[in-house]
Amino acid sequence: MEDNEPQFTPEESLHLIESMINKVKDRFNEDGHLYLFWGWLIFFSSIGEFILYNYVHYEKHYLVWSLTWVALVYQVFYLVKKHKKARVRTYTGHLIGYVWLAYVILCFLIGYLNGRIMGDRYFYHIFPTVLALYGMPLFLTGVIIRFKPLVLGAFSCWLLSIAAAFLPYEYQMLCLSVAMIFGWIIPGYMLRAKYKRQLN
Amino acid sequence: MFKELDPILHSQLRLAIMSLLISVKEAEFTFIKEKTNATAGNLSVQVQKLKEAGYIDVTKEFKDNYPNTTCHITQQGIKAFEEYVKALQEYLKVGQSR
Repeated sequence: MEDNEPQFTPEESLHLIESMINKVKDRFNEDGHLYLFWGWLIFFSSIGEFILYNYVHYEKHYLVWSLTWVALVYQVFYLVKKHKKARVRTYTGHLIGYVWLAYVILCFLIGYLNGRIMGDRYFYHIFPTVLALYGMPLFLTGVIIRFKPLVLGAFSCWLLSIAAAFLPYEYQMLCLSVAMIFGWIIPGYMLRAKYKRQLN
Repeated sequence: MFKELDPILHSQLRLAIMSLLISVKEAEFTFIKEKTNATAGNLSVQVQKLKEAGYIDVTKEFKDNYPNTTCHITQQGIKAFEEYVKALQEYLKVGQSR
């Protein structure tokens, strides 16, 4: 593209503006990696807890969730690396970042408040609460990037949170596994496929 | 009476840079170069002109031991861009009514 063309009509100007905006408008920067990473991790952790609690009768069945701390450390490193590698930062990406930050803060806050208010019985309420919470970032991200599978995943989390509230504790963790499939894993693979199509 | 088109923006490469930057939060020099198909030298000159006009901000830093330039549009740049588009629309309206 050269500068200072002698004949640069208003039509050509508008056409140029439109074509440049289109070059970045549909840029899709989500490869689904973190959705798949967390989706599979929580899926196996909840199945693991279900087995430990119902069949092995292990007292410290909740220890499987310690893995999430390791995963959090990995996520921080991954995001820092991705941020450094990015050559362009979009407004939608910026907004989505804050949605997930709010979600992480809420997760910790609700975890703490549940323990503070309910005492030893906090874990009886943790799965319906967490499932209700899971829907929020999925719904907002899905709306912002106009990706329906994430919105549907959010609704599946919300429906499963209601279902979990009616189930005995020993089956509630299975709702979490199902939520991972519809909210994280399936949308994650679809995001990955869309991202790869864009690259080709 | 027609509004005069902003000479800073009424240039193909500078307009392309501004159109890209108005759509994103910030972009690196290499990204702009790739999308505009401009040469590095020409792009540097036009980026400098936009910066001097106060339409964009340019940040230079090191990334993985290499110098890296990042650009983002300023409030003044957004206003100038909007006025430029309005002026273009006026030109086109008159063109159509003839």
